[in-house]
Amino acid sequence: MKENNQASDDPRISALLRQARLAPDLPPRFPQQVWRRIENAAAPATSASWLDAVVNLLLRPKLALAAVALVLLMGGLAGTLEGRQAARHDAQMHYLASVAPAALR
Amino acid sequence: MNRPGIILVGALALGVAIFAGSYYTARQATVACCSRPADDLSWLRTEFHLSDADLARIRELHAGYQPKCAAFCAKIAAKQSELDAVLDGGTNSTAEARLKLDELAALRAQCQANMLQHFVAVSQVMPPDQGRRYLAEMKRLTLGHHEQFEHSMSGETGHEQHH
Repeated sequence: MKENNQASDDPRISALLRQARLAPDLPPRFPQQVWRRIENAAAPATSASWLDAVVNLLLRPKLALAAVALVLLMGGLAGTLEGRQAARHDAQMHYLASVAPAALR
Repeated sequence: MNRPGIILVGALALGVAIFAGSYYTARQATVACCSRPADDLSWLRTEFHLSDADLARIRELHAGYQPKCAAFCAKIAAKQSELDAVLDGGTNSTAEARLKLDELAALRAQCQANMLQHFVAVSQVMPPDQGRRYLAEMKRLTLGHHEQFEHSMSGETGHEQHH
């Protein structure tokens, strides 16, 4: 055992072993490919993962309820504003009918 | 389509349905609540921010004006019937039709003058800036249509008219 260790410490044997180890040829443009893979791994989420994230948000009960409430509120507000405009126009026409004959309008 | 896509489309459709439903309900409720006022003058009160005293004075003017307006309406309707009868009578009644048209135009002019006089009287009861706005609005609603029609018939635009 001790003899074996002495053999591996021998610089001549180590040099011979280094020479004997075959280094395979790298494919062409190997460094560029490595960098491209690194960049792809660090890139932001793809469209599929973005969709998953949105759907996950929508499926959270609290967020889903908040979204429904917001849409209800916006719809109600828009409807009320539109209804007020329609009612105002109706009242205006009501007054106009009482002061201006239809033949003059 | 994959599952997240289906969920997203479904959620969007549900959102549109909820928005449309709440919009329609709110609109109908507002129109039902605030439309078709029993009082002819409710629009004046809200639109021109009138006080009770102003509104009471305008109500008197309105009550005094309405019989005159109704009388003009009746005269105009009668004259219109006469004109229709002449026009239905045949093609040899140009002179008589012209006479009826002149009489009808004179009646309409008198009615318009009476109406404008009433608008001026009402505007004078209001605060000055509201009165000016009321007069402009009444002019637009009652005479504006005729002006637009005449401009379109003469082929002029409104802007050219001012130069």
